[in-house]
Amino acid sequence: MALVSADSRIAELLTELHQLIKQTQEERSRSEHNLVNIQKTHERMQTENKISPYYRTKLRGLYTTAKADAEAECNILRKALDKIAEIKSLLEERRIAAKIAGLYNDSEPPRKTMRRGVLMTLLQQSAMTLPLWIGKPGDKPPPLCGAIPASGDYVARPGDKVAARVKAVDGDEQWILAEVVSYSHATNKYCAPGCIQPFPPFVCRYEVDDIDEEGKERHTLSRRRVIPLPQWKANPETDPEALFQKEQLVLALYPQTTCFYRALIHAPPQRPQDDYSVLFEDTSYADGYSPPLNVAQRYVVACKEPKKK
Amino acid sequence: MSELKDCPLQFHDFKSVDHLKVCPRYTAVLARSEDDGIGIEELDTLQLELETLLSSASRRLRVLEAETQILTDWQDKKGDRRFLKLGRDHELGAPPKHGKPKKQKLEGKAGHGPGPGPGRPKSKNLQPKIQEYEFTDDPIDVPRIPKNDAPNRFWASVEPYCADITSEEVRTLEELLKPPEDEAEHYKGWVPSFPQIPPLGKHYSQRWAQEDLLEEQKDGARAAAVADKKKGLMGPLTELDTKDVDALLKKSEAQHEQPEDGCPFGALTQRLLQALVEENIISPMEDSPIPDMSGKESGADGASTSPRNQNKPFSVPHTKSLESRIKEELIAQGLLESEDRPAEDSEDEVLAELRKRQAELKALSAHNRTKKHDLLRLAKEEVSRQELRQRVRMADNEVMDAFRKIMAARQKKRTPTKKEKDQAWKTLKERESILKLLDG
Repeated sequence: MALVSADSRIAELLTELHQLIKQTQEERSRSEHNLVNIQKTHERMQTENKISPYYRTKLRGLYTTAKADAEAECNILRKALDKIAEIKSLLEERRIAAKIAGLYNDSEPPRKTMRRGVLMTLLQQSAMTLPLWIGKPGDKPPPLCGAIPASGDYVARPGDKVAARVKAVDGDEQWILAEVVSYSHATNKYCAPGCIQPFPPFVCRYEVDDIDEEGKERHTLSRRRVIPLPQWKANPETDPEALFQKEQLVLALYPQTTCFYRALIHAPPQRPQDDYSVLFEDTSYADGYSPPLNVAQRYVVACKEPKKK
Repeated sequence: MSELKDCPLQFHDFKSVDHLKVCPRYTAVLARSEDDGIGIEELDTLQLELETLLSSASRRLRVLEAETQILTDWQDKKGDRRFLKLGRDHELGAPPKHGKPKKQKLEGKAGHGPGPGPGRPKSKNLQPKIQEYEFTDDPIDVPRIPKNDAPNRFWASVEPYCADITSEEVRTLEELLKPPEDEAEHYKGWVPSFPQIPPLGKHYSQRWAQEDLLEEQKDGARAAAVADKKKGLMGPLTELDTKDVDALLKKSEAQHEQPEDGCPFGALTQRLLQALVEENIISPMEDSPIPDMSGKESGADGASTSPRNQNKPFSVPHTKSLESRIKEELIAQGLLESEDRPAEDSEDEVLAELRKRQAELKALSAHNRTKKHDLLRLAKEEVSRQELRQRVRMADNEVMDAFRKIMAARQKKRTPTKKEKDQAWKTLKERESILKLLDG
């Protein structure tokens, strides 16, 4: 039932989105006219060698109109993007609901294991569609945008992707890509009913699922073993300070795997859709580092460990 | 109107994103009607495209804001310049009382100048005129202001000539005059006491030849000594000194130097002989007469011209005395004018030039000194007059005070008191006396 209503809601939202897009285009064609005027005035001012006060005032007027137009356009575009984000979150909820529903339904076969290629494509898509943070003039990028770390008391929500440090079956610790299932602020983690636990203060625990179903699926970890992945891409053109800089130590997802490894940034992205170019620490190479590999903004987080374990 | 190159604007190219090329999905969606709607799978691409549009729009917004800010600042800057100008003109309108303090005031205080002094009616008129200029300009446009810089610049340029003489300047003048008296020895060979030009030393070719030879000897000796050290012998050349070298040189010179074709005889002797002897420009065919002639000449001249090689050392001093005797004889006969300066100097052109220049310099420095003395005298006089003028100005102020008091009294409709009248008279008389001193 819930699924059905979600569908209709989604349909509504889609229609609204469509309308918004149409409005955007109207706005843009309107402001086109003003921009052409500005261009003409520029040309005229540049051919004449002097700048009279008449031109200055005229230019000011034109600029002010253009500013208003650009602001309006930005507003509508933002609304459209918000709408898309809304639709996506609804879809996500639907998916999680389906997953939970699936868990309780024993008759269904266990989760179909995805082929590796499909998983990788999914990861890539998720990286690409990470929303880009475009702030208004004067806005600073928020936490979890690019390299900006999460605020101290941030708690990842169910469905968020994180980098989690887990103990593998052979005892090795590894950072894996995982999805948060739940977060319990409770004093104890999952335990069998009936056993009595002492009362340690503030033991917060995440439950995360390994993205890759080949590994152990569910882990219970404390907060310091979980790093939330960025929720926005940083725009190199407007907020270069929200990007990791060259030579910074980070944890990056090794291409075609679901594990994070230590790496040094080789080059930050130049355009919003570009990836970081990183050098992974690799003892099999002469200088200790791999050749530069591309990793999306979504899968690069700050590394806090001082040395490799 | 300002020039284009002054313009701080950057004339950005504001073109919006061409969505047909860059955002195909967006374009496609636009083309659809409401019924078709958007598919869920299109959301991702749509999101990317919308993000591109948004980022370009927000970039445009930022740039527009920056440019409008520049434009507004530009306007404001022009306005500020105007106010600064006004302040400056105030300063210049005031009388240039003191040279240096005034210059400091000129720099940048957009505020109050000293009130126009009483002794300078010119400046009073100047100041209101400048202010008028400013006011008429306001409604038209700001950039007019620079034109009115001319009177400021004029006064600034004239100022060094009209400024008062300070005691520092007088002291500098005095110091300038001192060196000739105190430091003549210090400046040896310079103004004004020229010591004797040192006598000619050895000619450089001789000196260099000497030095070179010494060098070679030394080198040879060193090499020989090194070689000999092994053998334990001393070479023959190791202990030469300058005297020996000189002797060596003279010998070599003597061997080399056959005086060019001429004879060792002095110039006068030669001229005399030339006058006496007939010129025989003989063609090469008639060889025989020449040797005879020359032989005859040499014979006629007597023992002095014996074959050169043998009597070389002999003939040289002999020719010199011959020359001097001929000279004396000619002078006695009145055929030749006696020359005061020593023979050597007549041939030394460099020395002659040096002396000429020295004479010029001496004359010039003497002239300079007299001028400096005059200047010092005038400066001192002017300083005393300046003091008097200063006193006149103070007296003027006092007179003005007295005047104002009397006017105030009159305004209050009471006659001025005796005290005030007396004071007024006193100040007036004082001023007159100072003026008399000044003019006298």
